[in-house]
Amino acid sequence: MIPFQLAEPASFAEAVRLIDPEDPTCRAVSGGTAMMLMMKSGVFQPSKLVSLRKVEPEYAAFTVSSDGALQAGALVRLGQLERSEAVRAAFPVLADTFPVLSNVRVRNVATVGGNLAHADPHMDLPPVLMALGAHITATGPSGSRTIALTELFRGYYETALEPGELISGLSVPAQAGRRSAYVKCTTRSAHDWPALGVAVSLAVTGGTIQDARIVLSAAVETPTRMTDAEAALKGAPIGEEAFRAAGEAAAKAAEVTSDVRGSAPYKTQLVRVNVVRALRKALAAEGAV
Amino acid sequence: MADLSTISFTLNGRPVTARIAPHHTVVEVLQNEFGLFGARESCGQGLCGCCTVRVDGDPVSGCLFLAAFLEGTRVDTVESLARGGVPSVVQQAFIEAGAFQCGFCTPGFIMMTERLLEEHPDPDEDLIRHYLSGNLCRCGTYPEIVAAVQLAARRKSEARLDKAS
Repeated sequence: MIPFQLAEPASFAEAVRLIDPEDPTCRAVSGGTAMMLMMKSGVFQPSKLVSLRKVEPEYAAFTVSSDGALQAGALVRLGQLERSEAVRAAFPVLADTFPVLSNVRVRNVATVGGNLAHADPHMDLPPVLMALGAHITATGPSGSRTIALTELFRGYYETALEPGELISGLSVPAQAGRRSAYVKCTTRSAHDWPALGVAVSLAVTGGTIQDARIVLSAAVETPTRMTDAEAALKGAPIGEEAFRAAGEAAAKAAEVTSDVRGSAPYKTQLVRVNVVRALRKALAAEGAV
Repeated sequence: MADLSTISFTLNGRPVTARIAPHHTVVEVLQNEFGLFGARESCGQGLCGCCTVRVDGDPVSGCLFLAAFLEGTRVDTVESLARGGVPSVVQQAFIEAGAFQCGFCTPGFIMMTERLLEEHPDPDEDLIRHYLSGNLCRCGTYPEIVAAVQLAARRKSEARLDKAS
């Protein structure tokens, strides 16, 4: 790696102050796992990194409220959430997702804020958190604002964060009985980046789907809600017919790209099949599928 | 020329200092400043686990971890395990199960296993395979590695029972 300067401020406000919004070679770093890959490959050559690791401890803490809502600082490591009984109970889909997200060592180091700010479309957590209705807090020189995850991702490695703005926190609402699932497909080896990720979250009463969120990742440029597929499920009775209609609608609407993990037609077929699988997985406990 | 700074941390139980530049990784500093070669860079991407060291108890990839971030931490490498030339329970189990061929990946597997058995004293095979899925053995000794972890778990459990009785 090429040499760079490293600043290690003791407060989040100071970190924001140290980042020059005009200078794209001056960036924040927390766990650093993704940044290190970019620096080692020469894709990113920083002049200065501002470490968030020594800011106030509250940014590395999280709480789960009695009704099951999560508030987490941006510096919370993925492994902290993975090992929390309260998180596992409130969000079974997160407990299910962490074991397939990279590996133990990366989860011990990578942070919630860094994971979301990186905006690599192949990551596992963004589609899941989007399906759960999460939002982040962004903090910059002019203060803080809330951004829904549906608004955060703007393109390939692109976010709605302004230059100089950092993710300072994550908020995931209580799920109030919603059923969620995440399914990923890797086409080359089990630990490869996925060719497709599908996250779903459903509100059901009796045998009817009241509301659905379906998010695709990896096969598309950025994590994306499939609104046509969601509409196909709204008010439908739980069952294969509705699932297949949603799969078809998603396959039709998804703007799938070709890459080394598969051609666009192949990955479109993955969408068609895996939307159905994700819906079945989410509702398996209902006994209807 | 990069600005050098001095970091202080605890390495294998001893307080140490090192002169480092901001872009140095943990593996570079362990090898160049301390002559410790048990953690070695192989894939350089956090996938293979050959560079596994423990920072404040948690296994991390030493090739993706900036040395500057070690300030004030406790770092343990595979070199900390044997006591007076006697291998740890996990190391001995790897030897007895023949859980390696070339041995390049072995320190990483052993450091991961030490932590696995602290968190889960009696792991089933699925958990062992999951926990070690971020470690690659190019010689393909995975069945022997799983057997070694199970053997180490059994030995540690027997030792606990002996202590209790």
